[in-house]
Amino acid sequence: MPDTHPEDLQFIERLRQGDRAAFGQLVKTHHNMLLATARTLLNPADAEEAVQDAWIAAHRAIAKFEGRSQLRTWLTRIVINQAKMMLRKRGREIQFDPTDDPDALAHRFHNDGHWQQPPQHWELSSPDNLLTREELRHCMEKHLHFMPDSQRLVLELRDLQGLPAEDVCNMLELSASNVRVLLHRARARLFEMVDHFQETGEC
Amino acid sequence: MLKCKHVTEKADALVDGSALSRRERLALRLHLMMCQNCRRYVRQLRALLGFLPRKEEPLEDARTEAILKKLDPSQDR
Repeated sequence: MPDTHPEDLQFIERLRQGDRAAFGQLVKTHHNMLLATARTLLNPADAEEAVQDAWIAAHRAIAKFEGRSQLRTWLTRIVINQAKMMLRKRGREIQFDPTDDPDALAHRFHNDGHWQQPPQHWELSSPDNLLTREELRHCMEKHLHFMPDSQRLVLELRDLQGLPAEDVCNMLELSASNVRVLLHRARARLFEMVDHFQETGEC
Repeated sequence: MLKCKHVTEKADALVDGSALSRRERLALRLHLMMCQNCRRYVRQLRALLGFLPRKEEPLEDARTEAILKKLDPSQDR
């Protein structure tokens, strides 16, 4: 997903000079995405507050922005830090150990690694496309909600926002292999959910 | 020979187009040529990821303005 934002040097320079209109454009472009990131970790009210605080922090620090990363990555990192602080205040922490949660697909294989329960055939041609069905959307929301925070966050950053894997590793201070495992676990859960829906028509 | 379970683990890199060694890529292709279940897994995983909701709408002007106002109260107009 390309950055929709005219991230040229001139724009960055205006931001660094404290140009209000430029900062407004930054907020306008990135706010909803940052809010989505915060919501993977916090309830809606806390997420709003974390992102507002992140804007204040970003506004203070923008004069020192060196352009080493994309603005979006820089902002997302600030939001995640604010969200972590908020979690700590609530006595919670994100558990990043990917071995905490088993692979949702593991039970579908024989010990020898071959499929025991292969995937169902999903109806993907319109107009009956399984993936566009309203009930499936609701079911997905529900599963996202019950997913471990770390998986939901990595899925959001990689698959919903399309941030590069390397940026996500840096932002979360995780190794490439941990991010890979978390993303795989998150996708496996969703795959399993859709497959179950295809088979039973139920969430 | 690559096992189906490992194919599902490597499928992420495949659908992301991210770095796989030539050897891994070759082993995956070979397996997928022969295994209908894994082909189905990869095809459906790709479809699933393509349908995840994306939130890219810009923020409305009034809310943008409200955020700007909280940055520096002295700039209130």
